[in-house]
Amino acid sequence: MIAMLIDIRNVYKIYGEGLESEVRALDGVTVGIDRGEFVAVVGASGSGKSTLMNVLGCLDIPTYGDYFLDGQDVAELTDKELSHIRNKQIGFIFQGFNLIPELTALENVELPLIYQGIPASRQKDMAMEALERVGLAGRSKHRPSEMSGGQQQRVAIARAIATRPPIIMADEPTGALDSKTGLEVLAFLQQLNREGSTILLITHDNSIAATARRIIRISDGRILEDVRQEVDWYETKAIV
Amino acid sequence: MKLRQSFKMAFKSILSKKGRSFLTMLGIIIGIASVMTIVSVVSGYNKKSMEYYESMGTNRVSVYAQRYYGSNESVFEDLYDYCLSLGDIVLGITPQAYAYSAVVKYGAKSSDSMEYPPEMYLGSDQYAICNNFTIGKGRDISFIDIQNYSQVCVMGARAARNFFDYKDPVGETITVNGIPFTVIGVYEEKDPDSSWSLDNVVIFPYSASRVFGQRVDMSQYIIKVVDSKSVNEVITRLEGFLTGAIPSGTGSYSVYSDNQWMESENEMALMMSLVLGGIAFISLLVGGIGIMNIMLVTVTERTREIGIRRAIGAQRKSIVTQFLIEAAMICGIGGILGIGVGFLGTVIAGKLIVHMFLLPSALITAGAFAFSVVLGIIFGMYPAIKASGLQPVVALRAE
Repeated sequence: MIAMLIDIRNVYKIYGEGLESEVRALDGVTVGIDRGEFVAVVGASGSGKSTLMNVLGCLDIPTYGDYFLDGQDVAELTDKELSHIRNKQIGFIFQGFNLIPELTALENVELPLIYQGIPASRQKDMAMEALERVGLAGRSKHRPSEMSGGQQQRVAIARAIATRPPIIMADEPTGALDSKTGLEVLAFLQQLNREGSTILLITHDNSIAATARRIIRISDGRILEDVRQEVDWYETKAIV
Repeated sequence: MKLRQSFKMAFKSILSKKGRSFLTMLGIIIGIASVMTIVSVVSGYNKKSMEYYESMGTNRVSVYAQRYYGSNESVFEDLYDYCLSLGDIVLGITPQAYAYSAVVKYGAKSSDSMEYPPEMYLGSDQYAICNNFTIGKGRDISFIDIQNYSQVCVMGARAARNFFDYKDPVGETITVNGIPFTVIGVYEEKDPDSSWSLDNVVIFPYSASRVFGQRVDMSQYIIKVVDSKSVNEVITRLEGFLTGAIPSGTGSYSVYSDNQWMESENEMALMMSLVLGGIAFISLLVGGIGIMNIMLVTVTERTREIGIRRAIGAQRKSIVTQFLIEAAMICGIGGILGIGVGFLGTVIAGKLIVHMFLLPSALITAGAFAFSVVLGIIFGMYPAIKASGLQPVVALRAE
């Protein structure tokens, strides 16, 4: 049997454990995600959906529970191996973009390639290619502060896809954007999914979750519902 | 990630944060430059004053002695005879009689119209050895000159130049208060740099004192001792002798060593070094605190940056390497600039304050450099060490 791509079993993330004020951000979550899926995790603010993404993205470690990524037990990985996973396996798109303000668009996109150890000559080509995909090749020399929110998010997307990771994790990627730009971003995620990437989309908005073929509803750290659906594909020409 | 990439990344980071990089460097520059300048100027001044004392001559004992009744020459004659009996530890004795307000003329030149008029002293045939002079041209004053009341004189090199320019003074005749004296010799120059030069002197045999009349203070004597060990013995003996020679009520005397002056001067210089060095160290410390502050203020900002870098795949090691190189580069550049400024500062302050060409000492330079660079690197690394150990998500949340 081929292992699931993402496989978590009974995962807890508890803050202030043992105290009366302890908070269970994840309260016994078990979920499996296969290659090529487009999953939306939906929940209200404080439901634990971002914590779930952080754990799945190896940005945080669960208090209890097992996490197998591509068959590997994440708890046993070293810092070096975890860094490699974040670098090669997963592309992150954050609500607040998380670009480095002092670097230009191109330099921001180059960063994951530098950490991957790609030869300098190829870094620039690969970064430019990613910027072209999001339609920002002409802005490569601009700093984040010189760009609109939509453009910054596209730089962040370019950074996420620059290493061509099999998994894209997006935490409220449309949260800081107007609805038209937001739709463009969603269409682009669908496009990546059709090309084979596994997409994990975190959102509080049901209409955004409707983009995904699988919806996991989460509340108080528990999974309420896990459903699959048929979706309409967005027109993607706007961004690609 | 390769080291070259780390360097590139650190360099990019410094350039992209010019303001912060400059402020950090400023702390280092000020710290190093001030320590270098202050310490160098103080030690330069100290060296200069020691050189001055040495050119006056070391191992000298100064005696002030006078009788209320009877001539001062009789005091000198008694001292002279006594010193002869100490011949194995005393090299020479001379009056150091300052002839104030005597006017020396040669042709159209007159001492009372000179910017730096020469000082005139009456001395014995041992004046030169007692004052660390050596004869350069002609001959020195001799015992015969003193016995014969010869109207002769020897000039210091500066005084000779002031009166004769570069003409040979030996054999020329000058007048003192209108009375002619023949220049028989010129001393070699020993203090060429200062305006109030030790070479700007004219020395006459003390037996010529009647020509100078009342305007000679014949109560100071200088005794040259063979070495510094014997100075105290000579002082003790002279005091014993003078107690007998000038019974209390008939006169007064005092004996002291120029070595004591030198020692107290040395002590003062040491104290000055300590005080100013302390101030300099404080400024280095303040510079260091400045570095610390700027580095710590940016910890939050940098923590977030580290979170981002971690999220996109930077290993802990890469982050620490980058920050280490970054801090070392900033501190190294700041340190080199600081040494440059300190170098300039030392030369300028040396010219303005102690009128010398001074260069900073290598030890102080290296010490100040090492101190600021180490401080800068430690505090530059601080955010990296602190934040790279966090879970990336915690670092990302830093506000």
